[in-house]
Amino acid sequence: MIQADHVTVCYRMPHDRIQSIKEYLVALIKRKLQYEEFYALRDVSFEIRKGEVVGLIGDNGAGKSTLLKVISGILKPAEGSVSLQGNVVPMLELGSGFDYDLTGRENIFLNGAILGYSEAFLKEKYDEIVAFSELAEFIDIPVRNYSSGMIMRLAFSIASMVSPDILIVDEILAVGDASFQEKSYARMTELMSHGTTVLLVSHNIEQIRRLCDRVIWLDHGRVVAVGDTQEICDRYANKG
Amino acid sequence: MKNKALRICAAILAVYLLLGVAFYFVAGDSLRLTKGSNETVTPKAPLAELAQGDIISQTFRCNYDELESLTVIVGTMGRQNTDMIKAQLFDSENHELTKPVYIYTADLKDNQAYVIAFESAIENVKGERLTLTLTSLNGIIGNSISFYYGTSVDVDTGRVTVPGEIRDTDALFFNGERKVDSEKNPCYLCLTVKGTNYHWFGSHYWIVYAAGALLLALYLLYLSLCYRKQKYGHLLAFLLSLKKYNFLIRQLVARDFKTKYKRSVLGMLWSFLNPLLTMSIQYVVFSTIFQSTIPNFVVYLLSGIICFNFFNEASSMCLVSIVGNATLINKVYVPKYIYPFSRTLSSCINLLLSLIPLLIMMLITQTPITPAILLLPFALIMLFLVSYGVGLILASMMVFFRDTQFLWGIFSMLLMYLTPIFYPENIIPSRFLAIYRLNPLYQVITFVRTLLIDGISPSPMAYLTCLLTCLVPFAIGVLVFRKTEDKFVLNI
Repeated sequence: MIQADHVTVCYRMPHDRIQSIKEYLVALIKRKLQYEEFYALRDVSFEIRKGEVVGLIGDNGAGKSTLLKVISGILKPAEGSVSLQGNVVPMLELGSGFDYDLTGRENIFLNGAILGYSEAFLKEKYDEIVAFSELAEFIDIPVRNYSSGMIMRLAFSIASMVSPDILIVDEILAVGDASFQEKSYARMTELMSHGTTVLLVSHNIEQIRRLCDRVIWLDHGRVVAVGDTQEICDRYANKG
Repeated sequence: MKNKALRICAAILAVYLLLGVAFYFVAGDSLRLTKGSNETVTPKAPLAELAQGDIISQTFRCNYDELESLTVIVGTMGRQNTDMIKAQLFDSENHELTKPVYIYTADLKDNQAYVIAFESAIENVKGERLTLTLTSLNGIIGNSISFYYGTSVDVDTGRVTVPGEIRDTDALFFNGERKVDSEKNPCYLCLTVKGTNYHWFGSHYWIVYAAGALLLALYLLYLSLCYRKQKYGHLLAFLLSLKKYNFLIRQLVARDFKTKYKRSVLGMLWSFLNPLLTMSIQYVVFSTIFQSTIPNFVVYLLSGIICFNFFNEASSMCLVSIVGNATLINKVYVPKYIYPFSRTLSSCINLLLSLIPLLIMMLITQTPITPAILLLPFALIMLFLVSYGVGLILASMMVFFRDTQFLWGIFSMLLMYLTPIFYPENIIPSRFLAIYRLNPLYQVITFVRTLLIDGISPSPMAYLTCLLTCLVPFAIGVLVFRKTEDKFVLNI
């Protein structure tokens, strides 16, 4: 389903971030245009079968988010390749696709379109999304008038109304008040148990243990271990 | 699937065939020929009166395929004369080209522009050096006329200017003697050459049309073969992604449009008002303070403003389209061209809306609306391409250098002055014209003005220059964007 083959991602970072032509020219003249090669991923290979829920663990800067970017096609690897079948839907950082001047209704369609939903699918699921978000009475007012909790609820409702082949989750999304958190957590687990291939990044090892079939452990851009959830989680927890 | 592809191909071909025929009839005569006339030297004074047997001769180079008529300015000394003048036209080997024309001086008024119309148009004279002679048949001093001449020295500027059809060496001869003025400047007869140029494209239109159809059919065949083999080239991949993301594009365009005037009282009305108000201000400034003498100045101004505003808006919106959507680009895979593309499309809606006040102003100023207006989509498509192309370049530059936005602010102002929006084209010195005309906006705006103000189709050459000047920035934009888009994520 997803096959990563010797994936290497290398950022060529100039010492100072050069953002203007002047800085660039100055650096060029001073011959200070040195780059630091930074390997975010180095020779990463693995295979994920259809319907598996796979956890990605590792410390900060291990390359987890970079790997997700490569899989969702946002970032092209410098070497190696990723092949996958089916459509990939990312769980967006909540609300990042919202336009605050538009109404809730308009944002459902806009955000849905960004996530790659089809028009027919959105129209069909529209009522369900509104019902889940519990925002029916506010749906026709601009989002800028929403409270942050309401925005989170709407965003989650849109993002979780998917039936993708591959779902990419960067941290489990539990938002809103206690009852909505419970509801959203239930929704996430339901989504994952529906035969969807899931890639889950989390710092919460307990969550990984509960939800994942297998785990990939990354460290400094390299795969440390791939395999059984409990075993690798134990090793990760005890690494010191 | 196969049937559907076949149907699409047939539809495209049918549209081409239909448009080709429609174009032929809408464009009409402009496609085959351009009528024109050469300017003359500024009249200075009349020559001496012509007595019997006196001959004036002036050689000039004909810039037309077909010479229609020559216009001279006569001086009758304010009286009625009874002389008769014989006008003859010779080619460079002194063969008479046509039957002589006799001018009855009794009918002439002083300072009248007299059209020497030959029996029939004289064909195949392009580039030939022709000589006009005017002979008095029975003139007596006191009962004869003369003709106006001018010098090549412009009275106002003191510069030497000779109209294109007369060479420096072609002086005016009076009885075989070279005429010079008191400062020894050579003199020329005030002579306007009127003629017709035929276009290769127009006379071979149906051949080109058929060849185009054949090429299109072959290309469609090639594309459908690629499609079946699932080998998508650039174009096919682009079309498929357009189909796939058309819902997203529509949503993004709707978003731009809704949010643009969302919190303003007049809302969409601003799309009409904005060009109208700009036009009013510039109209007042340029027609009263600068005394502009451009005919139909209202439509002239408005068409320029609308085209330039579209370009400016689209390219500035494209500029921030990648940087402004950084969070999305970092999270979701969407082909990146979608962002500038949707921005250009939403400016298009604005452009189409602002065409309405233009039409209204045309009706108010009683500019005749001719079928040529149907050719407007060509100009608009070209305008779209050049704006999108420049937008692509700016969007990718902006990712790497944030200075782009400030540079562009200055550059677009420069471009505004380099485009004839509120001034006539003829104030540009002719030695800069070649460079000046490389500006795609110049091409588009003059194209639109020919359609709307003159009410005719531009000449085939204008189509070609418009197409080329617009396609070049577009192609560069696409190349730059494709080359850099993979690095965007690392830099925003």
